[in-house]
Amino acid sequence: MSFELIIALLAATVHSGTPILFATLGEMLTEKGGVLNLGVEGMMSVSAFAAFMICLTTGSAWLGLLAGGVAGLLMGGVHAFVTVNCLGNQVVSGLALTILGGGLTEFMGTPYIGTSTEGFRPLMLPLLSDLPVLGPIFFRHSILVYISYILPFLFWFFMRRTRLGLAITAVGEMPAAAAAVGLKPRRLRWFAVTAGGFLVGLSGAYLSLAYTHLWTTGLSGGRGWIAVALVIFAFWRPFRAVVGAYLFGGVMAFQLRLQASGTDIAPQFLLMLPYALTVLVLVLSAWRGTRRSQGPGALGVNIEPEG
Amino acid sequence: MDVSDLLKQLDRSKRVVPPQENPLVSIKGLTKRFGKVLANDNISLNIYPGRVKALLGENGAGKSTLMSMLAGRYQPDAGTIELDGEPVRFTSARDAIEAGIGMVYQHFMLVEPMTVAENVLLGQEGSFFLNPREMRQRVRQLSEQYGLEIDPAARVSDLSMGEKQRVEILKLLYRDSRVLIFDEPTAVLTPRETFHLFEALWKIAAQGKSIVFISHKLEEVLAVADEIAILRQGRIEGEFSESEVTSKADLACRMVGKEVLLEVDREEVSQGETVLQVRGLTGIGLEDIHFELHQGEVLAVVGVAGNGQKALVEAICGLRKPPVNTMFIMGKRWRDFYAKPSWKNSLAYIPEDRLGLATCRNLNLVDNLLLTTRQGFARGPWLDKKKAAQDTTELIKKFDIRPGRIAALAWQLSGGNLQKSVLARELYRCPRLIVAEQPTQGLDIAATEQVWNHLLAAREMAGILLVTGDLNEALQLADRIAVIYRGRFMDLFPVSDKEKVRRIGLMMAGVERE
Repeated sequence: MSFELIIALLAATVHSGTPILFATLGEMLTEKGGVLNLGVEGMMSVSAFAAFMICLTTGSAWLGLLAGGVAGLLMGGVHAFVTVNCLGNQVVSGLALTILGGGLTEFMGTPYIGTSTEGFRPLMLPLLSDLPVLGPIFFRHSILVYISYILPFLFWFFMRRTRLGLAITAVGEMPAAAAAVGLKPRRLRWFAVTAGGFLVGLSGAYLSLAYTHLWTTGLSGGRGWIAVALVIFAFWRPFRAVVGAYLFGGVMAFQLRLQASGTDIAPQFLLMLPYALTVLVLVLSAWRGTRRSQGPGALGVNIEPEG
Repeated sequence: MDVSDLLKQLDRSKRVVPPQENPLVSIKGLTKRFGKVLANDNISLNIYPGRVKALLGENGAGKSTLMSMLAGRYQPDAGTIELDGEPVRFTSARDAIEAGIGMVYQHFMLVEPMTVAENVLLGQEGSFFLNPREMRQRVRQLSEQYGLEIDPAARVSDLSMGEKQRVEILKLLYRDSRVLIFDEPTAVLTPRETFHLFEALWKIAAQGKSIVFISHKLEEVLAVADEIAILRQGRIEGEFSESEVTSKADLACRMVGKEVLLEVDREEVSQGETVLQVRGLTGIGLEDIHFELHQGEVLAVVGVAGNGQKALVEAICGLRKPPVNTMFIMGKRWRDFYAKPSWKNSLAYIPEDRLGLATCRNLNLVDNLLLTTRQGFARGPWLDKKKAAQDTTELIKKFDIRPGRIAALAWQLSGGNLQKSVLARELYRCPRLIVAEQPTQGLDIAATEQVWNHLLAAREMAGILLVTGDLNEALQLADRIAVIYRGRFMDLFPVSDKEKVRRIGLMMAGVERE
């Protein structure tokens, strides 16, 4: 493999790892608040479609991005209503969102299959894009990729250095303790689930506006599930999520290149790679798990009313 | 070092009890029921600033219920709480904390992965952004002021129980609490940590705050309290200042109660073979325990809760491993007995925790019957539910379990009926050894009498080990009594030995040893 090819592969890694990073951080925020959301896959496809349609009709990629985020936020709101207010089972509600999201986009998107939109184009950062090696890998992407570079830092700062982040952590760990000191656990969970949904929505928007630029079925392609697994792999820490997202981005980019190069390996096997890696990663993170690698204490547990 | 040696180092002479001012909190006629059980019956109590008040009583005496009402967790059915002479009503713990009343529960309300400082300041007003250095500084100041040594930057999950407790205290102090309630605070502490806690309590009281100390441990109460109130069966049994206490035994007796509420006829039953033998059991919190139990007799283990009863019961019932060759059940070594336990003609356990260890709350009576007897209703892999339902119906009639429906779920039954259903199930197995733990705690007189009669009748087939904190129960049922104190049997004597029976209170308090 030549040097240029490796550079191109690494650039593609960043390109396909970015939506996974957005979705992973979104799910991580949700889970930090103590709510498990298995609807990421469905939220991604709905928000990808919303972003695509708004961009197509208004011609504005930014409005499209916003639409994607809001679509994710709204679906997060459904999940929050079911689990926080109605005390519904978090697993069932999440799975329902995934099925709903897949069906909805299939149903509404069929007439637009093959339609393309401008979306976000690569933006060469001055000076940085001319750097040898690093330039082509990191600094010749769309603006969403640059946003994703700062996002983990923002995430960390929010969780560790703001009052709201601390309160969300407390609610995810022990809602009773949070309530005892005067916090509002339900309201905080609503925030975590909808804000997390917004981030997942951005990842959907990335797929249709910056990744493919055209509408096709099954756009999310299992990335939502990978994000759910990556939260566990990342031990609920944002910087480990970056490693995981690029690992998967790399495998996805690699199998595409390999298929294109006309290798003898069966394409089914190559397509399987990311999912096989998911299983492997989950096994590994469970195997070498310590106390600190465990998730929030009250993850998946609804807040029952007192009395 | 032993806890009593350490407690002796607490210097009473340094403790200045402030003169009695107006009470900070005045509880008037508080009553609380849980279903049929009267947990608190018209209780009145004053709490004064700068003083340490101990609430002394057995498990289930109503201490925690009373203080939970003060801390806003429960609402009283009747009566009022006055703070600074003004009546107040708390609908939540938050209300109480805002009014300056806070409680340190036995289960800490701390967020484990967060730091000490973060836990103390959680939920407090302030700017959106956090300044970790300033937070640590504030917590450090507070901890130095009250002598509660702690590293504000440490993660709570890395702390010892004593340190976690200090964080809970700091949380209350940070919120300017004026009344600090401690629910059995020493249960989780090492002797040294207990000593430090008591020092801190005095320091906090010296700053004009009121301390309420809930406990059933006599010597700790005597070491730290300025005033003592004894609670028994939901009522105040006595109230006096520390200097008025003349005898430990008197305290113990008042706590446990001596008056006879109920009597049953007990006929002697001829004794059979040995069903349980304990030989020199030392370890798992027990020391040098020797005894034999025969079919046809009741041996009562009495003592204040937390003196090793739990370990003894758990070891006998196979929930905890005793040291090798110290325990023999039906003549077999413990290991061999539990290697192949038989459901019938074997050991039956009637736990204190009726709706947790004894039954599954959401299962009906038939399924609860099957929990320990399913081998009797099995054909290969299949359960004979029809026969189980039939037998349950008969048991319901025989034991008078109400409501008389087999479809009733465990949680729907009252305490007495639930206990009878547990007894019915366990006696159905024709046990040879019965371990009954607080079998009538919280039951009314009628249910208590029924349970007692069933246990006495069961002597025909079994030997019964009765673990109880109710002295009257022991005197009514037992042939022999063992008094347990700090993991040791102080003495073991027949119930006919009036002289020793008279001294049970002293033995329970650890005062006397033959």
